[in-house]
Amino acid sequence: MAYMIGVDVGGTFTDFSVFNQETGELFNYKDSSTPADPSRAIVKGVQDVLAIKQAGPETVSYLAHGTTVGTNALIEKKGVRLGLITTKGFKDLMEIGTQRRPSLYDLQAQKPYPLVPPGLNCTVTERIRYDGSIETPLDEEETRQVVRYLKAQGVAAIAVCTLFSFINPAHEERIGEIIAEEFPEAYVTLSSRLAPEFREFSRMSTTVMNSYLGPVMERYVNNFRHSIEAIGIGVEPYVTQSNGSIISIKETIDCPIKTARSGPSAGVIAAAYIGRQCEADKIITFDMGGTSADISLIEHYTPQVSNERTVEGYPARIPMINIITIGAGGGSIARIDDGGALKVGPQSAGATPGPACYMRGGENPCVTDANIVLGKLNQQKILGGRMDVDIELARQAIREKICAKSDLDLDRAANGIITVVNSNMVRAIRSVSVEKGYDVREFSLMAFGGAGPLHACEVAKELGMREVLIPPHPGTLCSLGLLLADTKFDLSRTKVMNGEAGNLAAINEQFHNMVEQGTALLDKEGVPAERRYFEYFVDMRYQRQNFEICIPVPAGEMTAETLAQAVADFHAEHKRSYGYCKESAVVQFVSYRVSAVGVIDKPDLQPEALRPEAPIPAPIETRRVLFQGCTEYVEAPVYRREEFVPGQSIPGPCICEQMDTTLVVPAGWTIHVDGYHNLKIKDEVK
Amino acid sequence: MARKIDTVTVEVVRNLLMSIAEETYGIIVRSAYSTNMKERRDVCTAVIDPDGNSVAQVESLAALLGSMLSVVPNIYEKFGRENVKPGDMFIANDPYHGGGNHLPDIVIAAPSFVDGKLVGWIANIAHHSDIGGKVPGSTSGDADSLFQEGIRIPVIRIRENDAILPSVMDLLLDNTRVPQEREGDLTAQMSANLIGVQRIQEAYARYGDVLIDCMSELVTYSERRVRAVVATLPDGEYSFTDYVDGCGDKYPDPLPIKVKVTIAGDDLTVDFTGTAAQIKAPINVPYPCTKAAVFFSVKALMGDDIPANEGINRAIRIIAPKGCIVNPTEPSPIGAQIDCQQRIPDAIFGALAPVFPDAVVTAGNGACTTTILAGDGAIGTDSVFIFHEVIAGGGGASRRADGLSGVQVNMTNTSTMPIEATEMEFTKILARKYELKTDTGGAGEMRGGLGIERELEVLQDDVRYTGLGDRHKFHPWGLAGGCEGSSGAFYRVDAGDGSVTRMGHKTTSLPLKKGDVIRVVTPGAGGYGDPKKRPAEKVLRDVMEGKVSLQAAKEQYGVVILTDGINYSVDEQATAALR
Repeated sequence: MAYMIGVDVGGTFTDFSVFNQETGELFNYKDSSTPADPSRAIVKGVQDVLAIKQAGPETVSYLAHGTTVGTNALIEKKGVRLGLITTKGFKDLMEIGTQRRPSLYDLQAQKPYPLVPPGLNCTVTERIRYDGSIETPLDEEETRQVVRYLKAQGVAAIAVCTLFSFINPAHEERIGEIIAEEFPEAYVTLSSRLAPEFREFSRMSTTVMNSYLGPVMERYVNNFRHSIEAIGIGVEPYVTQSNGSIISIKETIDCPIKTARSGPSAGVIAAAYIGRQCEADKIITFDMGGTSADISLIEHYTPQVSNERTVEGYPARIPMINIITIGAGGGSIARIDDGGALKVGPQSAGATPGPACYMRGGENPCVTDANIVLGKLNQQKILGGRMDVDIELARQAIREKICAKSDLDLDRAANGIITVVNSNMVRAIRSVSVEKGYDVREFSLMAFGGAGPLHACEVAKELGMREVLIPPHPGTLCSLGLLLADTKFDLSRTKVMNGEAGNLAAINEQFHNMVEQGTALLDKEGVPAERRYFEYFVDMRYQRQNFEICIPVPAGEMTAETLAQAVADFHAEHKRSYGYCKESAVVQFVSYRVSAVGVIDKPDLQPEALRPEAPIPAPIETRRVLFQGCTEYVEAPVYRREEFVPGQSIPGPCICEQMDTTLVVPAGWTIHVDGYHNLKIKDEVK
Repeated sequence: MARKIDTVTVEVVRNLLMSIAEETYGIIVRSAYSTNMKERRDVCTAVIDPDGNSVAQVESLAALLGSMLSVVPNIYEKFGRENVKPGDMFIANDPYHGGGNHLPDIVIAAPSFVDGKLVGWIANIAHHSDIGGKVPGSTSGDADSLFQEGIRIPVIRIRENDAILPSVMDLLLDNTRVPQEREGDLTAQMSANLIGVQRIQEAYARYGDVLIDCMSELVTYSERRVRAVVATLPDGEYSFTDYVDGCGDKYPDPLPIKVKVTIAGDDLTVDFTGTAAQIKAPINVPYPCTKAAVFFSVKALMGDDIPANEGINRAIRIIAPKGCIVNPTEPSPIGAQIDCQQRIPDAIFGALAPVFPDAVVTAGNGACTTTILAGDGAIGTDSVFIFHEVIAGGGGASRRADGLSGVQVNMTNTSTMPIEATEMEFTKILARKYELKTDTGGAGEMRGGLGIERELEVLQDDVRYTGLGDRHKFHPWGLAGGCEGSSGAFYRVDAGDGSVTRMGHKTTSLPLKKGDVIRVVTPGAGGYGDPKKRPAEKVLRDVMEGKVSLQAAKEQYGVVILTDGINYSVDEQATAALR
């Protein structure tokens, strides 16, 4: 027997997806999280799963988990005391940032929390110019003094980021050597190794965050390995990165910043996989929970990656799956503001007191309250019967906080709350699709998370999308994603050159360097040669622009022909993104990227036979539901999702309840159950 | 106006219109050519209703709001609403004739039609690095007439029947020192509008005339929001006078910006009577910019989440006598108007400090400290380079918080260009220093934000330097016993003998030689409250961060800090004696 285990650590629950490679069975398990030491819940859960399956630890062939240790340390400001070494004359770059104040109109808005403590932002005499030439050599003696000072100050880590180190890392490398001599126990990050790209503030903040997290991650990783070894599991565990891939846990120590936004990324990987099962190659993912919603776009089964994102107010120059998060979830609070407008979120009632209907003292009406009043959610018990709710409290909150301050009656107010929160979702979905030049009507909306399926059909309808996809277990999609990821190292270099055949040698040199580096990293991971491949990209722009578009190019030696194709692809992408292109203009190559991929074994899920003739299961009840755009309640059957059989079609309007979510299907839409128990819900109205 | 549509639909449409404005903003920022747009984001976009009211604007910078509010009414006045046709696009830059804030700000607006019916407008405005005029970068510190500040574009068509008018484009490109850059930027602006026109058409297809009703309702909504706040304020007159440093050698005397804010019920009047008369120097503030400054001040104090649109203006009455510096007559020069415009929010905040004790902040750096370096040297097909940057300074302190250090304040909020991006594009410029300057923040229980010290070395001969700033004489004021922040200054460090010369706050086209260094120090911000009440451990942190010197800690805050250069601690006894 051989088990593959994916573990997703959430704030409340730790979810397990377990795949038996011999029987093909996929099994889900859930237990409470242990925030003080997340590895405890993982170890306990793995033991529980093995006990249930009556299997020994030696049967575990694969173990991957998403860790929030880095994310949480950044949010809770629990990284280590660190020092920064940069070029003389530039000690305040972290505080000055972009010079923009955080809010145009809110005069009280504050800058992000300073990660480098007072006086530990040090400088050394040195300067490299834009072309890599050394304008002022590094003062080594001064550097030594600075390192000794930082050691005396009791730092655990040092971040090194000097100007133009991305083009000539000599000074940073030398500073690193001096640190190794003077202060070998320090955790060190060199910007030229972590993110060798131009724009000093974002490179520096990435480097600082990495050092801030390094020792924290090191402690966690070592602890985790010991715990796993102690229960007899011999395989090297993997950890997810923000780019949706997995790396061995030992690699995480060098680049903890790469895990900073890894939480939602595994869900997107699973969504791409489910998309393949459903043969839907254009998907918008819609993961809505209690306080927020995560949205991303997948084209040709490939999630979109962006190369710079903001993490806790600071730019992070690492590849991350492009997920946008908005403050709209089941717990988002609705209110009427001073001007009489109905607003929903971003304030959330959280888990405590939670929506009014939770009976925990919450007085503010939330999205969940509206869904209960409208009959979309079960009006007695939710979460698969685990939680009691009181519809009267929901009604009372809406009456007091909405109806009394507007001319809306209860039903219109409750429906209005859903309309407004849906319009926030619509705006976010437009921003990843329509605003990037995609026709959103060609996409399917894949909904997951506790609240995604509640809103999906009505959000889709508002956008003109014709298909909604619901995976079998929408609440545990992230842990499934952990069974589906590959190992991937994203490497980059910056060197500005015109995109012309005359520069081919210099361009290929960049790629060769990165392939060499990637090969070494895959060697360290123990990936066999036949399981490796490389992906190549070039960031391009028109000469004089300053934002680049990342264009995939064929792997291997670039030729005059593939270069010409890359330039043509850039023109096309520029036109799609910005509405125009200039084929006569000079195109510059700015940064070069290689992703070194190691393919990991994945579950091989087989579809069940379709049984369209099976009778539609009997509803467990019928409920009066008020749908969007309607003024009258309709009687809708309520089904148990588990009773659906592959091949069946069930017409809306209806409600489907399952342990981790509730699906709302309006009239005119029909559910089709596929062989993998995915639901494809289609808008049948022509 | 009677409410025609329900609050829910209005909120949905507001989301939609904001996403249209933001999409077009993103297109310009990511695809433009000049530093001003791509890195500094000196750009604003808006959706405008068929009657010409701005309905949804991105929150980029406040300085550009004014012209977005007036461009379409100016088009209607000049051409007649009935003569606006599908496929038209209009361009303007002359604030006296429907354009922007000063001539480098070019506004382009496009109507959106569905089946022959005008259903809305999309417009954008962006700062161009050069549109001719007496100096590279167009904005000088000594122009005495608008005619020296670049080509004037009254409201005219730049596209007709879905095609660019080549003769208009030729005329514009012939009047700039950097035509390749100009063409790239104008293309980005027009392309953004084409997308915006399509998005408004799609919105109309979805909502029909409800879309237009919602636009009207959004405007009245913003007006209601402002009036709701004003109604809660005590009736009365609140006055304050702040000063602009003057302008160059010709106008060395301070210029008062005087405001009297009158609150009566839910009516708000801002009266500039008594403000300095207009001058023959480029800091006159055209009236649309004065409106924008009042708009900004009101929104910042009364609700940062009030949608930025024409409704806010409707809730405010402005009195600005014709011929004064905040309502000048044509052709008064206006190139550096921002330095004077920045003083308007300072004065309004000063006046309303008693009414908004929690929301108000002390005077910040109050300038738009600008460096322009221009010289020979090809970039692409342009034969000269024009480098333009704005350097931030101290942000105001409040009752609740220290001021932010190194930030843009009031009407501007542009980004800095990364040093590495600057030097890769402008290879004859080398940054020597870019740090916060110790002791520039005004002392207070809440300390004012710090100004910046920035040094740029030029690496070739015959580079021309223009430096524009303010608050080089009049320091930013504090509140409630807080000290004033320090003033700004420009210096030139000579390549030959290393001598340091202080320069004026409106230095224009000064020739530099290879190795000369320009040193810019920006103003800090005033402090809030008695410095002696600032907790000693906060002063300790300030000293460790290099924000406050040991000497200032002792003399201004009464806190004695002991240090051996590595460790710092408060001398409790000596501090108690001083406090």
